[in-house]
Amino acid sequence: MDYVIKLKDVSVSYLQNRKGTHSVKDFVLKASFISPFEKHRVLHHIDLTIKKGDSVGILGPNGTGKSTLLRTIAGIIKPDSGSVEVKVPISPLLTLGAGIELELSGYENMRIALALTGNYSKATRSEMIEKVSDFAELTKEQLRMPTKMYSTGMLARLAFSSVMTAQPELLMIDEVLAVGDRGFQKKCKNRLHEILNNGATLLFISHSPDEVKEVCKRGICINEGRKIYDGSAKKAAEVYSKLF
Amino acid sequence: MMQIKRRYIIFFLIYKNLQLKYKHSVLGFFWSLLHPFMYLLIFLAIFSTAFPAIENYPLYVLSGLVFWLYFSNATTQLSIVFIKNAHLIKSFNISKTMYPLTELGGELVSFLLGLIPFMVIMYFLGLEFSLNLLYLIPVILLFSIFIFSVGIILGSLNVFLRDVGIIWNTINPALFYLSPIAYSYQIVPEKFKFIVKYNPMYHFLELVRDVLYVGQVPSEHYVGRCLLITSVAVVLAIFIYRKTRNGFISNL
Repeated sequence: MDYVIKLKDVSVSYLQNRKGTHSVKDFVLKASFISPFEKHRVLHHIDLTIKKGDSVGILGPNGTGKSTLLRTIAGIIKPDSGSVEVKVPISPLLTLGAGIELELSGYENMRIALALTGNYSKATRSEMIEKVSDFAELTKEQLRMPTKMYSTGMLARLAFSSVMTAQPELLMIDEVLAVGDRGFQKKCKNRLHEILNNGATLLFISHSPDEVKEVCKRGICINEGRKIYDGSAKKAAEVYSKLF
Repeated sequence: MMQIKRRYIIFFLIYKNLQLKYKHSVLGFFWSLLHPFMYLLIFLAIFSTAFPAIENYPLYVLSGLVFWLYFSNATTQLSIVFIKNAHLIKSFNISKTMYPLTELGGELVSFLLGLIPFMVIMYFLGLEFSLNLLYLIPVILLFSIFIFSVGIILGSLNVFLRDVGIIWNTINPALFYLSPIAYSYQIVPEKFKFIVKYNPMYHFLELVRDVLYVGQVPSEHYVGRCLLITSVAVVLAIFIYRKTRNGFISNL
């Protein structure tokens, strides 16, 4: 089958401030001796091919480059070396509530979120908005309120629904599935399965091996910026558990 | 397809900026008019007797003031634009230039909307409405490019050194008094004239006043100067942005 993502020997570094150079004073003091920035390698020589319809769980300890990997695939970070090839549009859900403006109403935020994820079009606008509000289980009245009056759970529902309602081709989820109450979580998982059944590809970061086993078929384990396992979700969960 | 989507993103980001600016204040948009108006009144009260040499002082002040406030507001907003949008930059693969562009777009819209009532006031202060006023369009365009470049420079550096924004806020009022807004270049004592002369704002203000105050075709001298200043700013902005943009994500 055809692949949708192909990473060849990808290495990614961050340009990092040397300790504590965050003000001009430090900058002037330090820059005269050493460059204030240093490169810090986050991902080492990653090779990865993902086929259409794959559901891939990504496991690994904190700070080992899981999010960086997704951001590299999404084109948000440019790799130092290697090539990244992505053939389909991406719906990223990397930080929950990115772009939610607390002063604006639920409806306004919804429209912005739809535009940012590439799901906004004039033709389907009202239909989409209705679907999103249905999924989020927010009433018209609530959606007209500024989102600063929302509870954390309501905010998460709003953010999540704006992405989950569309049928994405390639969905990326970064540790944000555990939102809302039990009922909403269940709904999200059902919707996720629905999206997958419709032929979407999924990249899914989680810290719960059980969740990965439940949602994904394939699993990848990352440790210290290197891919240490790539295979079935079940095996990846075992490898992950052994890391601790 | 991608193009259409980008259009929506631009539209919504500008819309968002404008909404956030005015939504929750009772007077809304009118605050942005009140601000220069207060300045104008203060200046008229304090300085109009101090500088009797300037003909039609109210018009002189107002024409400079309106453009200064555009510069000051826009650069202040642009200096924090990447920091403010850190979440979006980290989550969506949208060109990072989109954020300052839409920020400036919002500022430009409110500046232009504010310009309408102020043009009416200027009319009563003696501004002649003629076709020469159309020269404002290229002048505003050039000025906006200049502002955008300054903003990109400040915004990019601010990601790495957070006090760039604070420093800019601090020197902003100083820059205001170093620019010939309430006074004119001719009044400045000879030995201090160089300070004004090397201030880019001076040239832009003169360019604006050619149209809004004198009511003539912008003089070649200031057009040339402003083109030169803008070109330098653009080149500098591109250089700094290119140098720094790859480090944005790790430092935001």
